[in-house]
Amino acid sequence: MSLQIQLEAYLSRTTDGRVAVDALTRIPGGASRETYSFDAIAADGTRRGLILRRDPLGSLIDTDREVEFLAYRSFHGRVPVPAPVALEVSGAELERPFFLMERIDGGQVASPIARDPYGAAAPVLGHSFFTALGRVAVMDPDDLPIAAVLAQPTADAAWRVSVDQWASVFERDERHPQPIIRAAIRRLYANPPPPAERITVVHGDYRSGNFLHDGAGRLLALLDWEMAHLGDPLEDLAWACDPLWGHHDDTRVAGLLSLPDAVAAWSAASGLACDPAAFAWWRLFSAVKGQAIWTTSGRRFAEAGCVDLILGFSGSFTARAHDSVIAEALCQLVAGGWR
Amino acid sequence: MTPTAAELLQGIAMTVSTPCAPEEASLFAAGRLGIVALVSVLVMQEAERGTAVRLAENGSLRSLLASAEPHYRLLADGLSDPGDGDLTITALDAANAVLRRRLIALHVAVESANDAPRDIAILELYCHMAAARSLDLPTA
Repeated sequence: MSLQIQLEAYLSRTTDGRVAVDALTRIPGGASRETYSFDAIAADGTRRGLILRRDPLGSLIDTDREVEFLAYRSFHGRVPVPAPVALEVSGAELERPFFLMERIDGGQVASPIARDPYGAAAPVLGHSFFTALGRVAVMDPDDLPIAAVLAQPTADAAWRVSVDQWASVFERDERHPQPIIRAAIRRLYANPPPPAERITVVHGDYRSGNFLHDGAGRLLALLDWEMAHLGDPLEDLAWACDPLWGHHDDTRVAGLLSLPDAVAAWSAASGLACDPAAFAWWRLFSAVKGQAIWTTSGRRFAEAGCVDLILGFSGSFTARAHDSVIAEALCQLVAGGWR
Repeated sequence: MTPTAAELLQGIAMTVSTPCAPEEASLFAAGRLGIVALVSVLVMQEAERGTAVRLAENGSLRSLLASAEPHYRLLADGLSDPGDGDLTITALDAANAVLRRRLIALHVAVESANDAPRDIAILELYCHMAAARSLDLPTA
């Protein structure tokens, strides 16, 4: 049965009326997520633009959709995110877990290989981007629906929870001895950051390429919340400032703002200080986390018969790029007094 | 290990030979072609310099290990280096894996001993290794 027919069956059943699906189009992007855009047309002719996010075949992680859906429920109306519509963890007529959300039309997403993708709009857009992240860090997780499905670390353990998680992912999926990331993981444990100033929702993949903008400086939507968790808000700030998302521009982070301007916008919105030592630790952590993800990508690409070329790309180019980031950071941090 | 050029080429073949579903015929198909183009650029670089990069890294590792290992008792001492007589990527990677395991063991020992000069030498080698293996992308 085609996806269009499955969608029509699901929407007709859940809305008590015949619903037609039009303009169903798969959207590229993401290593293993299926994203589709379509119009749902009700019996009275009303047309509604929707986005379907469906788990891939063989996925063993069926809670991701719930986390992402609850993130949209938590933040819709507080920061720019699409309105959530429905979550089906069982898969229902679509046979795999999925959720639906409102489509935001007229937006664009920066390509990771684009040079200066935001042009003259970068300063205004950058201020919005880092301010929105600061606003996420203001909100008490206990007041948000997403807190119900997330573990809450203590302020002094947040860093260790994060390193433990990604070090174990790396250990599980390493195919060839990787001395650089191994050295970084040892150094992260040996030089812990101060406790988190506050435990907040961490987006987990807050970066250039994961938001919609209108091309003229307006931030339309923050996307891809599937890695959301509770932790130190500096984790997101550091990830957003990682050189990998810098669009080949050493003078700006995320291709948007200078590092001081980005941190200032985030601090003003969050009310949090950005301790330089803690931030340096989280920046190295970001590169380690990235390298762990790319290590998994490379393993899955090879073991699954090389069918998903996006995994091959991220397991190659991005993995090697993050090795350089980690190696250079280690030299600087050890020269600066790290044990 | 990052995917080999052979694995990436296999991925390209799988991608271009897999038919699209009707809903994948526009944006998604264009995205797939874009990834094929980018990965082709990576394979081109690996084909051109992959052997040279591995030979150079293995040489650097042997040199550093030879100068530092005699000062430490290492659990990885038993890992024997097969050498670089066989110039296939597979053989060079196998030798590289042995040398990297020995380097990891050495670095742990160096850190434990607070041997700052050797620590810095190893960290600088990491920078050289990463830079030599880095891949370039065309920019849009």
